[in-house]
Amino acid sequence: MHEFGIAQSILEAVRTEAAKHPGARAVKVGVRIGPMAGVDRESLSFCFQAAAEMDGDAGLALELEEGASDELDLKYIELEEP
Amino acid sequence: MTRVPLEQKVLSENDRAAAELREQFRASGTLCLNIIGSPGCGKTALLEKTLAAMDPYARVAVLTGDIQTDADAQRLGRYGFPARQITTGGACHLDARMIVRSLSGWLTGDVDLLFIENVGNLVCPTSYDLGEHAKIVVLSAAEGEEKPLKYPGIFYKSELMVLSKVDLLPYVPFDRELAIRNARATNPAIEVVEVSATTGQGIDGWLQWIARRRSAAGLRVS
Repeated sequence: MHEFGIAQSILEAVRTEAAKHPGARAVKVGVRIGPMAGVDRESLSFCFQAAAEMDGDAGLALELEEGASDELDLKYIELEEP
Repeated sequence: MTRVPLEQKVLSENDRAAAELREQFRASGTLCLNIIGSPGCGKTALLEKTLAAMDPYARVAVLTGDIQTDADAQRLGRYGFPARQITTGGACHLDARMIVRSLSGWLTGDVDLLFIENVGNLVCPTSYDLGEHAKIVVLSAAEGEEKPLKYPGIFYKSELMVLSKVDLLPYVPFDRELAIRNARATNPAIEVVEVSATTGQGIDGWLQWIARRRSAAGLRVS
């Protein structure tokens, strides 16, 4: 069960990126996962929700896309600008 | 709403630490092998047999990961080579930062060969680059030959499958050819060595694989 750690890494990356856009709030993050990445999508979604809530980011959505081979990449974040 | 495209690895923090390790291994001429398999597949026994077969002056070290206890470091420490335990305290895999921390200030000189025995698990260690030259998956004859199909990630990422406990083959319903076929269905390039840590069968072939891998990595063959 390393999906919680992966969820935390995604949240860390979102925070780093959002910090470059003062006043903006991240609402969605897109992640691409390949079939050989060794990551369970359902478990990652569950962990992500839990980790986001713990960090007070309950409104942040995770969108998973089907990737190739062992891909485990961040593709985009969506920001709500003030 | 603004969509900001990102092109980065989810585990970029880990990958940064792994790149640091890779540079360290390059500078010290160390071949690093990351050994992964289920609990009880014989990772520690394989390493015991490997260390026992080494020249006593060989520059070899072992890091071994477990959730609790230093039992494996104690087992591996009996062969005269440095062996250090990483106790993850709950984490089901080793990550690159744990390796950086464990190597820091540990070895007094460079080593030619560093084994990392990962936490027993066929899933989670797959995602983490430890700066190693190769991941190696251990599958024992006491498991099922369908494991490469059930856990494709690790077989896909490994250069070598060590089929262990082959001394049990006459006694267990394990089809070794099917296991190899399944591994190659996931990763056509995967190499296979068959070993028994109990009888010593195949240990030579495994040591030869390591020597070939050293030279493929452009490192001196010791």
